[in-house]
Amino acid sequence: MSYSDKLIDHYENPRNIGSLDKGADDVGTGLVGAPACGDVMKLQIKVSPEGLIEDAKFKTFGCGSAIASSSLVTEWVKGKTLDEAGTIKNTDIARHLALPPVKIHCSVLAEDAIKAAIADYRAKAGKKVAGAEGPKTGEVPAAAE
Amino acid sequence: MSNPTAAATASATGATCWSCGARTAGPAPFCTACGAVQPPGQVDHFARLGLERLFEVDMTQLDRRYFDLQRQLHPDRFARRTAREKALSQQQAAALNEAYETLRNPLRRARYLARSLGVDLPDEGRTIDDPELLMEAMERREALVEAATPAQVEQLANDAAGERNDVLQSLSALFAATDKAAIRAAILRLAYLDKFTEEARARRFSMVRAEP
Repeated sequence: MSYSDKLIDHYENPRNIGSLDKGADDVGTGLVGAPACGDVMKLQIKVSPEGLIEDAKFKTFGCGSAIASSSLVTEWVKGKTLDEAGTIKNTDIARHLALPPVKIHCSVLAEDAIKAAIADYRAKAGKKVAGAEGPKTGEVPAAAE
Repeated sequence: MSNPTAAATASATGATCWSCGARTAGPAPFCTACGAVQPPGQVDHFARLGLERLFEVDMTQLDRRYFDLQRQLHPDRFARRTAREKALSQQQAAALNEAYETLRNPLRRARYLARSLGVDLPDEGRTIDDPELLMEAMERREALVEAATPAQVEQLANDAAGERNDVLQSLSALFAATDKAAIRAAILRLAYLDKFTEEARARRFSMVRAEP
């Protein structure tokens, strides 16, 4: 089995390894695992007030293909809107890295990780909005006038 | 059922011996009447090794049964038999190996039993997002990367081994109670602990090898 140059490059020089502040309001964290092979992947995005992904970090414990897939995704999502980032498909990742068939599941992990990070960010933002707009009983929001 | 083709493809349990036509009893690899080797059939792994269908397995007994059957199926014993008997003994040996390898490994044994209970386990290519389990797996793997000495690695491996024992203990009870959700959770945890054990061994090996 031979690996593509792009895959080896991402594996040997992974982009955006690290962590963002999980507790920050503008950070979404996706944590997914593939129990069949014992891989675990964390992918985080930092979203600007304009709704653009301004930073992305990952930490993956798994095979080279899993590391390369998550590295590639962090590179791809930077500068994208959440909706754009949400359209990334595992098949795009697998094709770009020329993953061999037995490693396709690594790209699935990366797709699920970015989706989970987006969902986490949206859940946080939704909570914040709900908290700001949900007036307590008896309170009249000033902006309603 | 005297049709030899039907007998050859039917399950070994209660099938008819292809050689003498007698009803062969149970999952034994040989006909109880004439002694001819039988097709392996779809015999349960536990039954193939003559064990009770329980998660808890007596390893000494498992090994003894396996080596005993393996000896009976050894190719040397079939050197002067017909081509059909040679082929059947090879199929029996392959089925025996598969059963043994599955039952010997606790994770594989647990998965095998769980599947037969209809527990939904994630196969290759399926992902999970159980945050507690994954966070724990992530932290453990980070600690392994940060470990600087073989002793530190060993400490982490020992902690994992202790937890693994607890999971194995709990699985016995969970299978006895057929608690499917808890069986699933325990198997996922076991999978990550096994993976960690493997990684810790590799890490320790590379450290020891790197020493001058």
